[in-house]
Amino acid sequence: MTETALEATALGKRFGRKGGWALRDCAFRLPAGRVCAVVGPNGAGKSTLLALAAGLLAPTEGTVTVLGTHPGQARPRVGFVAQDKPLYHQLSIAEMLRVGADLNPGRWDAATAERIVAGGDLDPRKRIRALSGGQRTRVALALALGKRPELLLLDEPMADLDPLARHELMGVLMAQTAEYGTTIVMSSHVVAELEDSCDHLLLVGDGRIRLSGELDELLAAHTRVSVPAETDLAPHTVVESRGTGRQVSALIRPAGPLPGDWRTTAPSLEELVLSHLRSPEAPALTPAARTEELPA
Amino acid sequence: MSAPALRGLPRTVLRLHRTSLIVWALFVLLAIAALVWTVEVTADGALREQDYCARHDRCSILTTMAYSNRIRLVGTFACYSFLAVAAFAGGALIGRELDNGTARLAWTQGISPARWLAAKLTVPAVALVLGGTVLILAFRWGWGAHRSLMDDDWSFDNVFVARGPALIAYALCALAIGALTALVLRRGLPALGVSFAVMVVLHLVLVAGRTSLWPAVTLTSPNWIDPPGGVWQVENGTLLGGRRVEGVDFSLCDGRPPSQTTACLREHGVTGYYAVYHPQSHYWPLHLVETGILLAVAAVAVLVAFRVLGRVTGGAHPRKEAAV
Repeated sequence: MTETALEATALGKRFGRKGGWALRDCAFRLPAGRVCAVVGPNGAGKSTLLALAAGLLAPTEGTVTVLGTHPGQARPRVGFVAQDKPLYHQLSIAEMLRVGADLNPGRWDAATAERIVAGGDLDPRKRIRALSGGQRTRVALALALGKRPELLLLDEPMADLDPLARHELMGVLMAQTAEYGTTIVMSSHVVAELEDSCDHLLLVGDGRIRLSGELDELLAAHTRVSVPAETDLAPHTVVESRGTGRQVSALIRPAGPLPGDWRTTAPSLEELVLSHLRSPEAPALTPAARTEELPA
Repeated sequence: MSAPALRGLPRTVLRLHRTSLIVWALFVLLAIAALVWTVEVTADGALREQDYCARHDRCSILTTMAYSNRIRLVGTFACYSFLAVAAFAGGALIGRELDNGTARLAWTQGISPARWLAAKLTVPAVALVLGGTVLILAFRWGWGAHRSLMDDDWSFDNVFVARGPALIAYALCALAIGALTALVLRRGLPALGVSFAVMVVLHLVLVAGRTSLWPAVTLTSPNWIDPPGGVWQVENGTLLGGRRVEGVDFSLCDGRPPSQTTACLREHGVTGYYAVYHPQSHYWPLHLVETGILLAVAAVAVLVAFRVLGRVTGGAHPRKEAAV
């Protein structure tokens, strides 16, 4: 069995006693070493999921296991960058990194943090409050990577960045996984930006895990078919079907070989995601659901 | 402050709250400077003025009053400095970190949130104990330097607090209450207001109940009691058939010549007089009991603050781990 970076069992989080569930019945397993995209619309529960994994929230029900242990105990080995990239604005970059050293005794890798900052052509004496959004993200990443995390949790890391900064920082992250095997979990509501860099997908919709697994396998498990309107799609699982006159275009999970006269195409990641989000009633596909069928 | 030996968490806490620390240090220095100047420079003039007044019918007492007022003002600022501490602890120390999300940054580093809170409380506490000790010693010296020039006494609120460790206890209590309210309310400005208000109320309650913190001395006598000088009089009055009645109802004897007042009151059932008071020797017991209460409140607040933090971050109890 491969090492597990992140695992959830029946995980749920409700805010307030009478509040709605931000996340419910979540079960998934993320093997170590993956770059995982947490995708979903705004308000789907992505931030809640990451905060639970970072030990910033206590689950209302179920468990989340991080690097084989409780989130609180995994804390020294986990890097987290919140969506708003909080930093101490009154400090200079150098002072901010010194805070990282002070708060991560025994783990801090000053050279890595300084290299990431230097890569952005930033003057360490500059105050945080004087930095642009992209520069702040870079410092926040330097802070998270300086602690040499085994798991890096990034909440919408690229949201407010221009394409150039996005590309640069993605490069920094990819170099990190290549060099240290760091598992990266990053959330985004923009699907396209993740397709090239991620190999694992968690699709969150309406507080539930809709899809979870290796990107290749998920894509391979789905087929877009175009068939005459009267065709019976059973026994295949239909995620979404849309009529275009006499033809029906559907995204299905084939239960077996498809008839030769069906026109099939491989769906793109974006199609896969959008079809699932448009059809809330479509059954979820998660490895937890699959492992139940397998002997443990 | 930037001593090279200082590393780790305390260094970060000091750096983040450097301005507050400087303000506190300046306040202590300013208070000492005011006391030294008042006692060493202005006392001679006041003493000369007092001496002149003793020998003349008409004289000015402005210099003496100014002397007394300055010392009292320092005592007032020192005594109520805990209100500033409450505002700082609720607002800047913890509240602001929750407001701008840096608490989440701190709570996801290599140290536990509990250690973060411990450092956040310990570093200011050390500064408050050190600065408070200096303030107390300076005030005790300044207040006692020329008692003849002062018209207050040990029972005055500011004097009572500023002459001993209760000053520090108030500050530590404010620190704990501020941290707790910030963690409960999770927003800086409301936490600032609430912790300030809680400390005002706590202070008023303690002031109101201060004389009952230690058993007072009760004197009874068949004759009217003039309590000795320097005591804190709590109550005095008459004994009406053995029953204590506060004050003396002289109106009972209206219209009689003063020489017959005693006899008249006796006719009305006044069997004697009583006085309840704290002699000056009760200062330390009273003061230390109040200090103890404040430290107990502070300890409870700190305990609850850690529990709230544990609940908020959920990282404190690895209870369900075995089930996975």
